[in-house]
Amino acid sequence: MLAPAYDLSFYEFDEENDPKNYDVLLCDLVHGKPPMKPLYIGLGWYWYYHGIRFGAETFHLPTSHGWDSRFINGYPYITAIRTTEEERKAREPIFKEKIKPFIEDFDGVWDPYKQDLINSYKDARESRGLKEWEDIEKLSNIELLSFFLDFAYVLNRKEAEIHFVMLMVSYYIGSLFQQMWKSIFGVEAAIDPKFSKVTAGFESMAVKVVRDLWFLARRAVELGLNEAFNTEDNEQVLQNMETSDAGLQWLKEYKEFLFEHGWRCERMHAYDTPAWVEKPALAIGNIRMLMADEVFAFDVAKSKVIAERERTIDEILYKVPVGQRETFKLLLKAAQKASYWSEDHTYYCDFYIGAMGRWIVTEFGRRFAEAGCIDKPEDIHFLRPDEIRKAAIPMGKINLRPYVEPRKKAWQENLTIDPKPFYGDINYAQAVLRSDPTLFVSTQVPIVRGELKADLYGAAAAPGLVEGVARVIMTQDKLTELKPGEILVAPGISAAWTVSFSVISGLITDGGGALSHPVIMAREYGLPCIAGCVEATTKIKTGQRVKVDGDKGVVYILDK
Amino acid sequence: MGEKILYWMEELGEEHGDIVGRKCANIGAISKIGLPIPPGFALSVDAYREFMIKTNALEEIKKYLQKFEDGLKTIEQFNNASKEIRQIVEAKEMPEKMKKEILENYKDLSLRCGAPDVPVSTRSAGPKSHPGQYETYLNVKGESELLEKIKKVWASSFNSRSLAMRAQKGLLLESDPIGVAVLKMVNARCAGVMFTADPNTGDTSTMIIEANWGLGESVVGGEVMPDIYIVDKESEKPIKKTLGKKNKFIKASEKGVVADDTPEEKSLAFCLSDIELKEVVKLGKALEDNFNVPQDVEWAVDDDLPFPENIILLQTRAEIIVVKKNPVDQIADYMMNLF
Repeated sequence: MLAPAYDLSFYEFDEENDPKNYDVLLCDLVHGKPPMKPLYIGLGWYWYYHGIRFGAETFHLPTSHGWDSRFINGYPYITAIRTTEEERKAREPIFKEKIKPFIEDFDGVWDPYKQDLINSYKDARESRGLKEWEDIEKLSNIELLSFFLDFAYVLNRKEAEIHFVMLMVSYYIGSLFQQMWKSIFGVEAAIDPKFSKVTAGFESMAVKVVRDLWFLARRAVELGLNEAFNTEDNEQVLQNMETSDAGLQWLKEYKEFLFEHGWRCERMHAYDTPAWVEKPALAIGNIRMLMADEVFAFDVAKSKVIAERERTIDEILYKVPVGQRETFKLLLKAAQKASYWSEDHTYYCDFYIGAMGRWIVTEFGRRFAEAGCIDKPEDIHFLRPDEIRKAAIPMGKINLRPYVEPRKKAWQENLTIDPKPFYGDINYAQAVLRSDPTLFVSTQVPIVRGELKADLYGAAAAPGLVEGVARVIMTQDKLTELKPGEILVAPGISAAWTVSFSVISGLITDGGGALSHPVIMAREYGLPCIAGCVEATTKIKTGQRVKVDGDKGVVYILDK
Repeated sequence: MGEKILYWMEELGEEHGDIVGRKCANIGAISKIGLPIPPGFALSVDAYREFMIKTNALEEIKKYLQKFEDGLKTIEQFNNASKEIRQIVEAKEMPEKMKKEILENYKDLSLRCGAPDVPVSTRSAGPKSHPGQYETYLNVKGESELLEKIKKVWASSFNSRSLAMRAQKGLLLESDPIGVAVLKMVNARCAGVMFTADPNTGDTSTMIIEANWGLGESVVGGEVMPDIYIVDKESEKPIKKTLGKKNKFIKASEKGVVADDTPEEKSLAFCLSDIELKEVVKLGKALEDNFNVPQDVEWAVDDDLPFPENIILLQTRAEIIVVKKNPVDQIADYMMNLF
């Protein structure tokens, strides 16, 4: 018997054979909660798997052919397609040759890739004459369908393949560097402040976008538009702008910025949250937060961070045995790039492609609802790509409700289900996780050191010591609640949260390891951060005073 | 030879590694070919054995270890056992005859150096070379201090990592006889290490010398960024000199040694003059000629002596050369075993 997966046969679970073939399948709660909707699972999520397989097979990873995945009760379960011993031996020499160019010149590979991605996205819209978000409404049904197919099969494939080739190699480099660090210096790299310091100070696209926002904030001050921001209602800010010439000028510049850099949604690939370029009010809160800063916080920290990095490298290099120094230096260089890539790629990969999908999918939802194929535009999220194809040209003639309704019902039931953590034999969990860097790195656990008597222990940290008032924030749209100097406590953060870094004095997250967004970005801003605490958002309450010790990787709750 | 508990360095040669430990044997060998070492003597591995048996320490250690029926396993067990056993060893009174022999020779050493209670270093010397495995004590002065530190060196053969290593290799835990080198402390103006071939590449045409102010321990331990000299072996001329930051240095204090901040004018200056550098290189070449393989050498410049007698060798051993492999291949190799 196959378990149903919203009619997506790729993901149907074979209870008898799958555990036999793969030993164990583990629930991916990071991505799977709340349960994803069928369109995302069939489209964006599919390309994730393809990308990981493409990366694993392109490099000939000795241990894995990539991931396999099943959906049970709407939750994703992951496992690795592990290699046999013979396969491993045959793949090792090829793997070595394939990975070397990345070790030698990481940027030499990444720079042309990101240019290629940006050109592809821009070509896709410019060749269709799309100059503003609303322009998509002007496309004929066949033009829109062609755009959708281009997105679904060409752009997504390219993005996924580049994304995961780079991710694999950056995790390989990062993990090896951490292992070497521990064996030379005897300290867990992820919580060693020196480790943080030597990889900091490389400006990613995530930072560049925030700098542009800050510039827009300064521009508003310069144009005398401060008062337009004197409301908590971000839509109202936009309306206020329309009442003056200076305001209209500012809006024009803001829209130019959005069409260039506003391709991002909170739930990156899910297509069910609006993009900045779609809903300009979304980034207004960020600009308001940055208005008080006369200089850009990152730039202030940057020269210090770089000086500290170079000083620390000098200091540690002579502890490395002479015979290993050249190797260490080369790996350090690659690890710096891999760490910076981790922030840089989000812009070129997840954000951009997700927002493009949002654009097309939302337009089809609007047309189908208007033509009576579905009840509401949002019902589009319960369809499969081939059903969109089926109904796009005989517009209005195909009733899509028989597809939408049972899946919507199943999805709503899945919302109430607590997923089983695994299927198969849990004793194989380590073997599965250790077979693939993309699995291993995303499952790091807190490094507990009882002698520190801390309330929370992190899996990774950015250095520094700070005490302050905690504010627990569960979703990005609540970020504007932050008061200057507070310590942000969150389940995890994506690059979209970075804007808050000029306001907060420290950061604590439930998820994340040494290569996670919170740690890498906090490091760039010189903010103390503890990531991977697992229970930070449950143990800490807003208003409590906490001490963040980024040098040791622990958190103390001061008033319990 | 054999059975004696104490030898002067000049009595020793390369062939005596099993009697006094590899380090002492090599120091003896340096002195035999007429190269400068600090005056001093070696306690043999038999001295260790005799001490352990006559003081009953060996029996007590065996008895203690019998408590662990399944052997030592966890890091905590190794740490605790190490603490207990070292206490047993250090608490023992040195047997009279042994004490007398050591102190008589210490007196002779002091006479040779022209100062009563001459400060010495006491260094461990394992029969097989285990660099950095056991403890070293610097600037040890006076009779009771010397006896104390010799016992501590012996006791350090029970430090946790040595215990763990012996357990892993299936060796006896209760004893690991080592020699002790007792050498006059050099009043080092500067000191460091020398590799007579490039350890990264195995290139035998160049030598690498690293130097810092004060005692050589700051360079050996990688505590500071030292001056680095890359020297062409044939012409004995530097190919490249890199000024290190040398922000700290180690010096003798009243008792033992301390780290101190380097005054700025010194951290901005090279430790070795060109003629001193050349002399260090000459000594390295002589060592390599004698031992026939590239050497990893510790040297010092004695502030109390005139050039060239002030360039002193402290120890030498066969250099470990990384297989000639470029760093990219090395990293790709490591990656294969990562997952």
